[in-house]
Amino acid sequence: MTPQPQRRDTLLSCFVIQYKVIHALILRELHTRYGRENLGFLWVIGEPILFCAGVAIVWTAIRPAREHGLAMTAMVVTGYIPLTMWRHCMGRAVKAYESNGSLFFHRQVTPFDVITARSFLEIIGTIMAGGIVMMGAIGLGYMNPPKDYGLLLLGISYQCVFSFATALLAASLSEMSDLVEKTVTVFGYLSLPMSGAFVMVAWLPLRYQWILMLSPMANNVEMIRGGEFGIEASVRYDLFYDTWSTALMLLIGIFLTAGVRKHLEITG
Amino acid sequence: MIRCVDIVKDFHTSSGMKRVLNGVNCTIQRSEKWGILGHNGAGKSTLLRIIGGVDVPTSGRVEVDMSVSWPLAFSGAFQGSLSGLDNLRFIARIYNRNYDEMRRFVDDFAELGQHLREPVKNYSSGMKARLAFALSIAIEFDCYLIDEVIMVGDARFTERCRRELFEKRQDRALVIVSHSMDYIKDVCDHSMVLQGGKMTICTSVQEGVDMYNNL
Repeated sequence: MTPQPQRRDTLLSCFVIQYKVIHALILRELHTRYGRENLGFLWVIGEPILFCAGVAIVWTAIRPAREHGLAMTAMVVTGYIPLTMWRHCMGRAVKAYESNGSLFFHRQVTPFDVITARSFLEIIGTIMAGGIVMMGAIGLGYMNPPKDYGLLLLGISYQCVFSFATALLAASLSEMSDLVEKTVTVFGYLSLPMSGAFVMVAWLPLRYQWILMLSPMANNVEMIRGGEFGIEASVRYDLFYDTWSTALMLLIGIFLTAGVRKHLEITG
Repeated sequence: MIRCVDIVKDFHTSSGMKRVLNGVNCTIQRSEKWGILGHNGAGKSTLLRIIGGVDVPTSGRVEVDMSVSWPLAFSGAFQGSLSGLDNLRFIARIYNRNYDEMRRFVDDFAELGQHLREPVKNYSSGMKARLAFALSIAIEFDCYLIDEVIMVGDARFTERCRRELFEKRQDRALVIVSHSMDYIKDVCDHSMVLQGGKMTICTSVQEGVDMYNNL
């Protein structure tokens, strides 16, 4: 084995290291969470599929086929998948640092990398699960193919960034305060009406619509539904507000993550 | 070189804040072998963790211009639920080392055999020490931080560490925390004593040992 060459840190080499660390973290996470046996890692997709398909089937069975003129199954799928993505990202982020203390023995691993790896897995898993559930529903005739793929993808992209930003915030805040750690699940439930997963902005009285539109996620879901239903549905979203509010969350998240190390008491 | 400048570390305890390190200064040059002496709870391990980048000091800074290992201790650095091999794979990836080369070295050095496929949490402390040493030697750090752990191995392992670390890699720096004065006298060429949050740099290892015995 040759001695290590003199280290020369350029911005590029730092990005290369970060890429490798995140890659290694993703694989490690797959192994710790699902084990090495069998097709364990398929659960990354399998779990959200069962979740989304289950809810879609139950709702399709017990609710009227159309709500406000829109197909029930498509409503559930377009609402539930973004919601699952967000909730799983947040849930996986709470106390993620403390439970992975051994990672911080290696100085190239940063809190940011840990959350990026976890969120990446959740986001990819939900997107793939969403795609499969959608294809299944379309194949069985319960749903029509999306009318506007561009708007659909835009909505999904915004939702990914929003979920990631939430994960950064939840991870840092839950280490800084026990109160946050305890209340984050409650917050997840209480914010359901604001998620836009089960309602659309246009269903609300005109003068209350602004409240729902304060939620970046409601804007994202509106975009996703606009992509799925096309002109059939009347959607309302504010791309300008959505962009800056999500970006602000992301910035605060990165800022808190950069300073979170001093709040951690790492036990190996 | 590693330079600790005015390191202060506070811990939250049930009786309020406790200052463990109170303005610690020290410098470790390449190929120097330092022994840190001090009673239990003096903050030796904490200082090692701060140098290793695991803990963040409350104030002060650590300047490092060589590669420094993680603190080799009884715990930490490994994910207990993963097998030794998976830990090896992860460490090879993040330190950008060749997996097969590293695997061969670890097999050879640690002699864990089939235990490598077991979760690390089932290892004895001697096995953990062997794995940690094998991995960190395979990575080829410029400076090794050793927290007691070297003493738990059997004679064969101690001999192997001596050969790999003190003979083949004489140019590397070492910082060792230990209560075994014989060991410190044997391998170190410098010593410092940590007491009451302050560090005293000694002129010789013997002076440090005497000071420790008189504390």
